[in-house]
Amino acid sequence: MGLFVNILILAVIFGFAGYQIYRAVKRSKQGKCAACDYDCEAKKMLNQSKKRAM
Amino acid sequence: MTTVALLGNPNTGKTTLFNELTDKYAYVGNWTGVTVEKKVGQIRHSHTKVIDLPGVYSLNPITKDESVVTNYLLGHSPDLILNVTNASQLKRNLLLSVEVLELGVPVIITLNMIDDLKRTGHYYNLKTLSTELGCPVRTTNARNKEGLTELKADLVRDQSEIKPNLPLKLNYPLMVNQAIRQAATSLTKDYKVEPKFAHWLAIQYINNNKVVRKYATMHQLKPLLSQKAYYDAQKFDDQIFETRLSFIEKTLASATEQLKSTQHVAITSKIDKVVTHPIFGLPIFVGIFYLMFKLSFDWIGTPLSGYLDGFLSGPISSWANQFLTQAGALPMLRSLIVNGLIAGVGGVLVFIPQIFVLFACITILEDSGYMSRAALVTDRIMEMIGLNGKAFIPLIIGFGCNVTGIMAARTIEQPKERLITTLISPFMSCSARLPIYSLFVAALFPRHQALIVLSLYFLGIVVALFMAKFYHVIFKAKEHSVFIVELPQYHIPRLDIVWHGTWDKGKGFIKKAGTIIFAGTVLIWLLSNFGVHGYVTQIDQSFAANLGQILLPVFKPIGISTWQPISALLTGVLAKEVISSSMMVLFHTSNQTALIAMIGGSFTAISAYALLVFILLYIPCFATIGTIKSETGSAKWAAYSVISSLAISYTLAFLIFQIGSLLM
Repeated sequence: MGLFVNILILAVIFGFAGYQIYRAVKRSKQGKCAACDYDCEAKKMLNQSKKRAM
Repeated sequence: MTTVALLGNPNTGKTTLFNELTDKYAYVGNWTGVTVEKKVGQIRHSHTKVIDLPGVYSLNPITKDESVVTNYLLGHSPDLILNVTNASQLKRNLLLSVEVLELGVPVIITLNMIDDLKRTGHYYNLKTLSTELGCPVRTTNARNKEGLTELKADLVRDQSEIKPNLPLKLNYPLMVNQAIRQAATSLTKDYKVEPKFAHWLAIQYINNNKVVRKYATMHQLKPLLSQKAYYDAQKFDDQIFETRLSFIEKTLASATEQLKSTQHVAITSKIDKVVTHPIFGLPIFVGIFYLMFKLSFDWIGTPLSGYLDGFLSGPISSWANQFLTQAGALPMLRSLIVNGLIAGVGGVLVFIPQIFVLFACITILEDSGYMSRAALVTDRIMEMIGLNGKAFIPLIIGFGCNVTGIMAARTIEQPKERLITTLISPFMSCSARLPIYSLFVAALFPRHQALIVLSLYFLGIVVALFMAKFYHVIFKAKEHSVFIVELPQYHIPRLDIVWHGTWDKGKGFIKKAGTIIFAGTVLIWLLSNFGVHGYVTQIDQSFAANLGQILLPVFKPIGISTWQPISALLTGVLAKEVISSSMMVLFHTSNQTALIAMIGGSFTAISAYALLVFILLYIPCFATIGTIKSETGSAKWAAYSVISSLAISYTLAFLIFQIGSLLM
């Protein structure tokens, strides 16, 4: 495995981890539904209506 | 497309019926307030859309979520309303039905849980009911799918095939009737409101329906607004209630039939005599929880978890190591994947059996009907503190996840009580804390695992209740919410509902393993492999070690003598599960058994318990902090929650360690 592939894999792992932490902080700032890990029916509806509004 | 709105009192089996009708799964519980927002589904192979509205006792809302129904009726006109009632509680259920029937939209009433009614030796003549109420009446038993085919056939009709309903006209007292007629006539004439709707609007307005009154003010409906003082002074709302009640009593009296065979004695009341007993009720509640932890930690969960750990830390870990070496991966990448991700994330995933067994137990308790009894039993204690049993439901939901617990606090109508429940929710031991408990009890209390975890759960409850009392005095909360809990008949839990419920609660945990736990593990791996001089081979020179060592003097008084747990605690703010994965990475162990041995070496029973108490009560996770902020609408409360929980957890852990050390 070349150095480049090594670095690429490391970058992907760090990048994904960084993104997840960023997302967690952002989601918890929005609070309520967004911060909750349950993907319930109400939440699906909420997300759908958000998409439509956009 | 035909739209059917599902409407009824809480706990009448609406959500079960919704799931059966739409082949779609929504969270089902055997207690009040499961549906907070409305849900939409479609009946398979049809053009019928079903809307599941939250359960309400009347159209005049008491709580925030109850107004969803009235607002829905004000803004939408469904083609058909399916009014789901609990056959055994028909007298109270029909109070809502009457309000709906007065609207004049086609309604089908279904007497659900009809078996429960038959068991009491009663039955209703459906024809009589149908004639008196002026709408079709069906019977169903959603749990074992009785009567569903017939009901489905009623619902999957085209709009044109649905027979229109005349609004139900009750004989209100003369003055009330006159008031309704006058208001409705001028609404129709001057505001072009449709006559049926105008009639209903007038009744609801006169009956002091807060949402309708707001609606009238918003639309400037003068015929209603100008008479408000008169309606209220004459106490028309009381007269409306009396008329409705006597109509229902008369209707039910004429429709009731006695069943000849009453061999099905209500087992429910027999069980209730024991489990809701004033003295034995609480010990039984504690006993059931103890049994739950016994199952999750001693009997099923931990042994299964051991196999999973053996598999992950054995074959998987060594295979990955070999593969990466052969493929020519850098030592750093190898360390990240094997010592970081597989050890850390895997170290949390091995707790899936414990967590799922616990969730299955909670779902069984919910589905069997015991949870409502638990709320009743705790109500007595809650009352002494000034809260009521209703607050118990969000708290119990908080055992799964504090975020959902806080959201469930919306069902509490008094703002102060709601705030108090929100603030004490983080003290409930959520499932994310289970992995770390599991590690420590296996290391230091192998014989009393369930008992120690039970004590932590109850300590969480005790602290929550103590703080609730404290806030009650500080906030001078005087008003009380009304606590109505229905005690449903006990059912034998249905396997598919238990499985769905368990999966619903547990999938969040698995999802977290791939997202935030993964991220937390990478973060702690970075902190433990890099120091001020870059990549380090000695973990003692890493950032994680430096940070832990700086804070060590602060944690010494609560019994922590090494830096690793301190650094792990810091990452716990991301998600509490990350504490366990961080411990795995920081102690540089590849499997649970080795970590358990390490923990056993660096802690005593007292210091371990003090640390567990600290973990139970310290700063809530990000998601919970965010939810507190948005539900209270202020960042101050979120900050307060962080600071107060830190202070409480430190004080308690300090007392436990210091007093414990003196005694030992």
